[in-house]
Amino acid sequence: MKKEIVLSLLEKLQKKDSYISENSLKKLALKHNIPLAELYGVATFYHMLHTEKQGRNIIRICNSPSCYVNGSLNLIKDIENMLKIKSGETTKDRKFSLHICSCIGCCDKAPAMMINDKVYGNLTKEKLRKILR
Amino acid sequence: MKILQKTNLEAYEKAKRLGSKKTVELIKKKGLTGRGGGGFPTGLKWEFALKSKGERFLIVNADEGEPGTFKDKFIIENNPELLAEGILIACHTLSIKEAYIYLRGEYNYLKDRLERAIKNLVKKTKAKSDIKIVSGAGAYVCGDETAIIQSIEGKRGQPYIKPPYPTDAGLWEKPTVINNVETLANIPLLLLDNDWNNNLRLFSLSGNIEKPGVYEIETGTNLKYILDMVKPKNRIKAVYFGCSGGCIPVKDIKMEKESVARCGCMLGCSSLIFVDEKQSIVDMATNIAKFFEYESCGKCTPCREGTMRVLNLLQEISLGNATKKDLQTLEELTYFVRDCSLCGLGQSSMNHLITALNFFRKEFEERCR
Repeated sequence: MKKEIVLSLLEKLQKKDSYISENSLKKLALKHNIPLAELYGVATFYHMLHTEKQGRNIIRICNSPSCYVNGSLNLIKDIENMLKIKSGETTKDRKFSLHICSCIGCCDKAPAMMINDKVYGNLTKEKLRKILR
Repeated sequence: MKILQKTNLEAYEKAKRLGSKKTVELIKKKGLTGRGGGGFPTGLKWEFALKSKGERFLIVNADEGEPGTFKDKFIIENNPELLAEGILIACHTLSIKEAYIYLRGEYNYLKDRLERAIKNLVKKTKAKSDIKIVSGAGAYVCGDETAIIQSIEGKRGQPYIKPPYPTDAGLWEKPTVINNVETLANIPLLLLDNDWNNNLRLFSLSGNIEKPGVYEIETGTNLKYILDMVKPKNRIKAVYFGCSGGCIPVKDIKMEKESVARCGCMLGCSSLIFVDEKQSIVDMATNIAKFFEYESCGKCTPCREGTMRVLNLLQEISLGNATKKDLQTLEELTYFVRDCSLCGLGQSSMNHLITALNFFRKEFEERCR
């Protein structure tokens, strides 16, 4: 293969530290001879790549129509209350970061969310409590 | 379900026997059309690629981002071998040495299963093609074929104006065929099955219903019949065709491209979201407007600014702060964004609102001063 897939390289960084630090981005830029500004542009384009420090587990809760009509807004409020953070924030103990996201393709299990790569569907307040314990 | 059929490389062997020209002819004759929403004839696309010169690439579009759509996930989860065989047939028929499966980041958990299925078939067939899975990283716009190309090339996944079409100059400026997962999974089926029917589709059905899921239904089936199958929880008020396809009130209508288009909607990739009478259409519109504002890639001004202004106006309307004049401004904006945006995202981002204002105008007016 003549070209490395830049997106895959960024994903590896994201996976390793839960976010892409300025330092690791600089190293990557040097190693592959890509302008840092260009790499930063790519890293900030995708919703699943983060350039700000995240918690050890990233929660993405879906708020697209199928989940929305099945009560996702209430669940988002419930999570925010349970974790005492707003969407886009990280808990003090760095265990969780919370993000409201677009459709995750689990509309048959609405309302649904992902924690890292795992899907949790047909959510209720009770279920949330157990999952986030 | 036909899509769950095991073809055990029989179709691949048949394609090898037939050779490139005859395989493409057969696909054209059977009338397979793209299942990602565009509906372009697949045989024709392959023919264009076959006529192009030099190295070619295949991109499998598994970036299923349209809200309410989960049919490609269903195929990858339940019959990855069929997809893998379709990919191998494409590679063999079009002399493609490198193929990329662009799997959306939200489906990372399917990667291993898909990889195993592909490795197995490559080993069995001793095919020479290199098939890689590239993970997306959360960007709805990357469902657009030019955006996928940019993304795989390591750039921001922003669409560009066609032509050149990917089959002339796509990935790394080389001729590239981009096919949806369901399209490729249908290739083995159509090669083997004499009764193969292009109208048989996977419908993703969800919303306020008891039985959401992927259904294999013929296009042209009446909406009322589908509604009976999915067991609504309450009286259904509206059906949304994903976020980008617009909405209609429940009525006697065939679920086919033309009938749906007559209502100002797009059937797209056959995703129906059922919304019951407890939901407010204004709130639905605000939710969907938020989706587009969040997913707009920012490249062209009409979409970047337009989706944001539309969202602001809708939020004001939902809060009861807007006047009838604001509603008028909102309506003018919808046509502007639709007509002036660069890619399909912006162009279709207002369908939900235009159709909602057409069918459910009263709900908007009631919230305006």
